[in-house]
Amino acid sequence: MQIVWEASLKQSFMDRVIDTIEWLAAIFVGLVALDIFVSVLLRKFFNTSIPDSYDFGRMLLGILIFWGIAATSYRGGHITVDLVWTNVGPRARRWIDVFATLVLLFVVTVQTITLFDKVRQTYIDNVLTYDMNIPTWPFFAIGWLGDVSAVLLIAIRTYRLVFQPEALEDKHDANYNE
Amino acid sequence: QDKPVQLKISTWVPAQHPLNPSLQAWADDIKKASGGTISSSLFPSEQLGKAFDHYDMTRDGIADLAYISPGYQPGRFPVIAGAALPFLFANGKGGTAALDEWYRQYAAKEMKDIKVCMAFVHDPGSLHSVKKVTLPTDVKGMKVRPATATVGQVITALGGTNVQASAPESRDMLERGVADAITFPWASLGLFGIDKVTKFHLDVPLYTTPYVLGMNKAKYDGMSAAQKKVIDDHCTTAWAEKIATPWADFEFGGRAKIAALSGHEMVKLTPDQLGQWKKAVAPAENQWAESVKKAGQDPAAVMNSLKQTLAKHNSGL
Amino acid sequence: MSSDAVALIGFVSLFVLMLLRVPVGMAMGLVGITGYSYLTGFAPAMKLIGQTSMRTVTDYTFGVIPMFMLMGAFVSISGVSKELFRAANSFLGHLKGGLGVATVVACGGFAAICGSSVATAATFAGVAYPEMRRYGYPKSFSSGVIAAGGTLGAMLPPSTVLAVYAIITQQDIGKLFMAGILPGMLALAMYVLTISILVRVRPDLLPAGKATSWGERFRGLKDVWAPLTLFAFVIGGLYGGLFTPTEAGGMGAGGAFLLGVLRRKLSRAQIREALLQATRTSAAVFTVLIGALLFGYFLTITQVPQKLTEMLTGLGLGRYGVLALIMVMYLVLGCLMDAMAMIILTVPIIFPVVTALGFDPIWFGIIIVMTVELGLIHPPVGMNVFVIKSVVHELSFSTIFKGVIPFVITDLLRLVILIAFPIIALYLPQRMG
Ligand code: NA
Ligand code: NA
Repeated sequence: MQIVWEASLKQSFMDRVIDTIEWLAAIFVGLVALDIFVSVLLRKFFNTSIPDSYDFGRMLLGILIFWGIAATSYRGGHITVDLVWTNVGPRARRWIDVFATLVLLFVVTVQTITLFDKVRQTYIDNVLTYDMNIPTWPFFAIGWLGDVSAVLLIAIRTYRLVFQPEALEDKHDANYNE
Repeated sequence: QDKPVQLKISTWVPAQHPLNPSLQAWADDIKKASGGTISSSLFPSEQLGKAFDHYDMTRDGIADLAYISPGYQPGRFPVIAGAALPFLFANGKGGTAALDEWYRQYAAKEMKDIKVCMAFVHDPGSLHSVKKVTLPTDVKGMKVRPATATVGQVITALGGTNVQASAPESRDMLERGVADAITFPWASLGLFGIDKVTKFHLDVPLYTTPYVLGMNKAKYDGMSAAQKKVIDDHCTTAWAEKIATPWADFEFGGRAKIAALSGHEMVKLTPDQLGQWKKAVAPAENQWAESVKKAGQDPAAVMNSLKQTLAKHNSGL
Repeated sequence: MSSDAVALIGFVSLFVLMLLRVPVGMAMGLVGITGYSYLTGFAPAMKLIGQTSMRTVTDYTFGVIPMFMLMGAFVSISGVSKELFRAANSFLGHLKGGLGVATVVACGGFAAICGSSVATAATFAGVAYPEMRRYGYPKSFSSGVIAAGGTLGAMLPPSTVLAVYAIITQQDIGKLFMAGILPGMLALAMYVLTISILVRVRPDLLPAGKATSWGERFRGLKDVWAPLTLFAFVIGGLYGGLFTPTEAGGMGAGGAFLLGVLRRKLSRAQIREALLQATRTSAAVFTVLIGALLFGYFLTITQVPQKLTEMLTGLGLGRYGVLALIMVMYLVLGCLMDAMAMIILTVPIIFPVVTALGFDPIWFGIIIVMTVELGLIHPPVGMNVFVIKSVVHELSFSTIFKGVIPFVITDLLRLVILIAFPIIALYLPQRMG
């Protein structure tokens, strides 16, 4: 009884983490749209602009993509070639899934490590925004945290794939990319 | 016998840009002087990485040699940014000699992660706009695509706002009203089709952009003494002038071409108006001085040295 | 090992990884970096990952992708696909084959807001298929017309594949969007023509649906005018030079959000769903873009693209011979992978060949997207067909392919027309100035 309860608590904690990460990603895409929308309106109707809206826009875009990679990696939403996968039995499918997720975990982990280096270097090099001369590294750091979340979520995904395959609900949105 | 070295040279300008053949000729001369042991491949038009990243690419060995625009990154290279301040350079050739000679004093400290081979400028560019600009007060409320972060600070000081766009995107930005004006060298206007949109041109040598040809340190250190000497012999003020000359000539010729186009107005300035401009851009110089002070240099000494070197090469304003 | 051999091993391992369902972007990145590291060194290769990832995701012009995706997500989640189909059906449904024509027209309307071919097909598999079946249309035709109609999503602006093609080849996204309009309308017209020929040849195949009163027809129009006005505003603004492509996407997303909220068609949960969907799909596309750039840097230092260009242009096949060869290659690849993956993987290699042969890059973008989209519906496998099957379980692949054959023939004919008359693609972009 105790063990079951602990397992379900752990599961709901994981689900809350996943939910929060997805929410953050969703908020950032809304912010980018808002930044662009307001900038265009200001330019067209008031002939003025938000200082650094260009730099904010592109750095928010970076944040949204890294947090989005976290969300899409967990949901199995990446663009994949399914030719072999659809034509083999369930056992082989599971092996393929585990292999692919492990490769994904490896690649995103390496990416996250190299990105940390990039953020650190941006801090050291004192790169600033154009209009207000604000340091850019904090924005990069928030994006980097998204990639850290991606590693975390892919690790959860790998764990669930191996030990609790029923807990995964893949969203194949990515198939709609093109 | 020296072991063969292969150099990857990266530029971010399109293949037809005059800088590429100059660099190719430079690389060919290195090959000859090294008895064929140092050969190079030139990768133009961002094939190895984006324009903004060329300093980092040199530092990290993604490219062995790269054409770097330090002014793209505000705050990172304060000393050389001084050469991007308005109303300093009168021409591109002597200006290159002066910049190279001057920056050699600071390069090792400011760009400590790479070996600075040479520095150069293009022939001075100006402000090209959709509506007429005569006085600095006309820039107030305008959206301008600046050449460098330093020019960006000038625009801010004049009450305008900055619009960022790469050179190829610039025409589009001007066409769509995202920008009303751009600072650009004269002949490149035609290269990127910007002359189709901007009809007014301030007829003064307003600004120029300092560039650096940088080399990866490890690559240089790994060479034999003889090979290092070949590289050193090619990283000279004389070579900087040689490399910058075809480009300087190209941009210089562009001014007359624009002036001859119908529907274009060259906006001349009276001495009094020029005085107003020089006064109006002064705050940007103070801002620059602050950033140089923060980097541990004396801005007055740095600027005096630049102006003296420019005078020595007959290229000061 | 020579750089050619390294490139070859790179391609082989890339295909193996992709067939083992490693995400396309991750596979390209992994192979690209491994090859780069072998040729240039480990330290620069590691730096290249961080630099390329950060530079790509913070490139303002690439913002066009999430913005148009967000616009599409807001509009489709607020239920516009159903309304479009109902409106088109009220005018056309009473004719023989009319439900089929209504499906094509509604797909076209939806394509004007949504940037994806597969999403368009999936949406109408849910909306139009049951209606066609209810009036006695055969399974094969009903699914075939949706598979074909879906491809309009990638041809009519906005279009994610066209945007990605523009990014990779450094062409103007706005011009490529404009270039897609006339070929997209031609496709729509030719699909309608195909259906009317089918009705002539086999009068019993596609029965008439029920007639609708004029009052009801106009009530239906009331539901669709808003999204169509939004489309006209966004694309008109892009064409007329009011905003840049990224801004057009941002305005479209903002407009779609306001329309949905003001017309009470977007609940809080639906807003979140739309934001999330746009984020996930954009992240998936950017992952592939980053991977493709890394793989591209690897290919650049092997100098394989230059060698391939020299080889292909030296074959003596002539311009159109090489073009035909390229298109056959795409049709074969169409059995393996989806449109985005195909474009991203092959365009960096093929594009130098095409420009060396003197073809117009904007025109080639349209041709390549048409060919790739054809790959999504032609047998033996295709993405649109998979997606329709995943929505409508009663279908078999062979049934769908049987229904799609008339449209594949139409598409091949359209491809020939576009190659013979490039002006169809280039007329609007040339007017843009
Ligand atoms: Na579309
Ligand atoms: Na196919």
